[in-house]
Amino acid sequence: MEEQVGIAWHRLINRLAARRFPEAAVELASVSRDAALLFRALGGDHGVAVQAGAQTLHGARRSLLERLAGSARKVDLAWVDRQALQLPPLIDAFPATSLNRDLYFWLAALCAVDPQPHLPWLARNQAAVLTITRGYPGLAASYGRLVEAEIARRPPISKLAPDEAQQEQAIRAALRKPGSVAALPAARRPPHPVLLWLRPELPAKGKKPHPDKSPDQPSQAASALQSDKKRRLAEHTEMPERKGGLLIFRPESIFSWTEYAKVEHETKENEDQDLAQAADDLDVIAIAQDRRNIAKKLSMTLDLPVAEGDDTPLDGNRMLPEWDYRTHTLKADRCRVNTIPLTDAKPCALPEHLKRDQQRLRRQFGALLPVRLRLKAQPEGNDIDIDPYIRHLAHNAGAETRFYLDQRKRERDLACLLLADLSLSTEAWVGEERRVIDVIRDSLFLFSEALSVTRDRFALYGFSSQQRTDVRFHTLKTFNEPYDDTVRGRINSISPAYYTRMGAAIRHATEILGRQKARERLLLLLTDGKPNDADLYEGRYGIEDTRKALIAARQQGLRPFCVTVDQEAHEYLPHIFGKNNFIIIHKPSELPSRLPLLYAQLTR
Amino acid sequence: MSVTSIARAVRVPGLIPPYTPTGDEIAVFELAYRNRLPVLIKGPTGCGKTRFVEHMAARLGRALYTVSCHDDLSASDLVGRHLIDASGTYWTDGPLTQAVRHGGICYLDEVVEARKDTTVVLHALSDDRRILPIDRTGEILEAPPEFMLVVSYNPGYQHLLKGLKPSTRQRFVSLAFGFPEAAREAEIVATESGVDPATAKRLVTLANALRSTADHDLEEAPGTRLIVDAAKLIAGGCDPQVACRAAIVECLSDEPEITRALMVVVLAIFGN
Repeated sequence: MEEQVGIAWHRLINRLAARRFPEAAVELASVSRDAALLFRALGGDHGVAVQAGAQTLHGARRSLLERLAGSARKVDLAWVDRQALQLPPLIDAFPATSLNRDLYFWLAALCAVDPQPHLPWLARNQAAVLTITRGYPGLAASYGRLVEAEIARRPPISKLAPDEAQQEQAIRAALRKPGSVAALPAARRPPHPVLLWLRPELPAKGKKPHPDKSPDQPSQAASALQSDKKRRLAEHTEMPERKGGLLIFRPESIFSWTEYAKVEHETKENEDQDLAQAADDLDVIAIAQDRRNIAKKLSMTLDLPVAEGDDTPLDGNRMLPEWDYRTHTLKADRCRVNTIPLTDAKPCALPEHLKRDQQRLRRQFGALLPVRLRLKAQPEGNDIDIDPYIRHLAHNAGAETRFYLDQRKRERDLACLLLADLSLSTEAWVGEERRVIDVIRDSLFLFSEALSVTRDRFALYGFSSQQRTDVRFHTLKTFNEPYDDTVRGRINSISPAYYTRMGAAIRHATEILGRQKARERLLLLLTDGKPNDADLYEGRYGIEDTRKALIAARQQGLRPFCVTVDQEAHEYLPHIFGKNNFIIIHKPSELPSRLPLLYAQLTR
Repeated sequence: MSVTSIARAVRVPGLIPPYTPTGDEIAVFELAYRNRLPVLIKGPTGCGKTRFVEHMAARLGRALYTVSCHDDLSASDLVGRHLIDASGTYWTDGPLTQAVRHGGICYLDEVVEARKDTTVVLHALSDDRRILPIDRTGEILEAPPEFMLVVSYNPGYQHLLKGLKPSTRQRFVSLAFGFPEAAREAEIVATESGVDPATAKRLVTLANALRSTADHDLEEAPGTRLIVDAAKLIAGGCDPQVACRAAIVECLSDEPEITRALMVVVLAIFGN
């Protein structure tokens, strides 16, 4: 009974307190593509992705009801950094759906423009608003509506303390007439958050992560991988020296959680969900490095302050450069490639379950063999085409003059290098029986079957990486080897390991393929996710490095193309590969049969 | 395909198609013409390549033979071929041969699209020999000083299979075309379409916004031509949003998701 009364009270007070309009809510997911395009159109950086940003503690005065309800401590504000455009996951601040949607677009535009990011909050936002309202009349009109709605939403001035009222007056003036307010009057509390403006700058904090303390790779791939796309503020801290000091998660312990979130816990049934909930409730997630593995994994994107990384050049024979987008420099000798020949794999025949596909592919790909084509009714050619000539004589007409047969040889002078991602993420399951790696293995088999029919030259390589000192390049089949049981044995022996340092792998593959003398050279990349590694090769860094590696490949005259099974790849692959140079396979299990057909399409 | 359908001779004395220069292209073109050098123009779709050549031909008082190249265009489509009629076989000149004979300007638009054997024909014409050998008739035509070869292509959607070989490329004086700067482009849009300067300026803002999404969201950036088309619709009384959808957005993408997002950009500029 007590509990029920509590719940009823909670609901009531929350409803009364909330200045929200759930019936007019707009979710980020429904507008993120539109907002992202608008962001790029207005000059925003192509490399950043749209993400649901974390809530910010605003510290402003709350109404009595809000304080009673314990709500409205945090607010969703927009900002952009080098990694992502951060927009609220949901907007329901205004009574009309159109206003809430317009606010998304307004925020995307604001983040894209932001002409003077170094100015203090008030001046910076006014400058950005002015730039937009002067340059984009449509947005200016919607700004007018948004300002009125925002002012209606703000706490009434009459109810504020004198200093806060003054501050509020200034903000309202700045909203109504951007550029008119030079500075914010001082007050004891920060002003009520302004939804139409960018988030005030947060002070950077956190220590540098320890370079030699890299987390071991988890011994077992995540069993049930939970993933949400919300980003959370994060900082690096030291792991506390405490034995068995792992917290058991209990909802009431949330407030003690703001320090360490070692993602290991017991007791509760529905723990994955609890963890995500707890992560939402934290202001900052502290990341500590230690060497223990964890059984459960919660996948989320953290806003870590960018690590400096160590820059010591490596030595060895196969050294490759890497692109650092922050400094716009190609750092020489940053990655060491270790070629792994896979000599101990046992030769084997094609697996039984692929035999039927093999037959089909042999027939289909026979059609791609170099053949002589006979073209009828040509304006010129080696032989006379009798039919049109007779038709011409019979009609005695001058229009039809194509009476020749021509022969044209369809030639193929093509070399293809297939580079398969063998990182640990390929251990994830697709469906009941197969993992991504099994799908990749089958794809390699069928791809090779198909290409050995066309007599196109091809090579197969796999890659994984464990930081920049160890980029593993597995040779499955070189250009000079025939496709036989030895190669099949190597394909059969591939297994997932470590991470995906894509840029280095592409650079190495470019070198190999670049030595081939063919008119068309195709670099086919088979992957299941974005570039990553256990160091700073994460997020934007990895994406920009991969992009640079591909630009270099194109300059050498290679044609790179990416086939991925990552359903979210449209967020980053257009930036890396370009709009028309990748394909997302929506059902990973279809990859083995689709890949050879795709190859046929690409090279026809 | 008959030869006449692919060639178009523009000979309107006294009327020079308007062209707003963005740099030194007019001077360079004139010097190339005087020095008998062939010219290659590269640039994105709808940035005024064809208009520029038409303008220059009229300015120099030469006939212009335009050929839009496609992947079935062969050397004999350019040079000419034997045709048959009731009285027997006769030879007809292709547009290239006509241009050489009459001392005109031959303009091959999107030259990379043409079949590979066509570029071979151009080689002897584009170096200092300036000759056009016609195998079929055994004739070797020497190009008069007034003859000029102009080719264009769009590096934006260049395929691996359809590049211009370096040996071909290095025979030409090359002019790279881009989109004009905003103020100038607005002027062009206003004069071409008759729309008021304020609307022209807004359209150019829209074009530049959309251009910055190219590569990521769009296959190719919208050209000045698209903007002029939209401006013409607006000048004719069409609602700007409708005009932008019909003349710009729907021309740039077939994917509903993309067109919807592009309309958001249109509304950012033409919303009310």
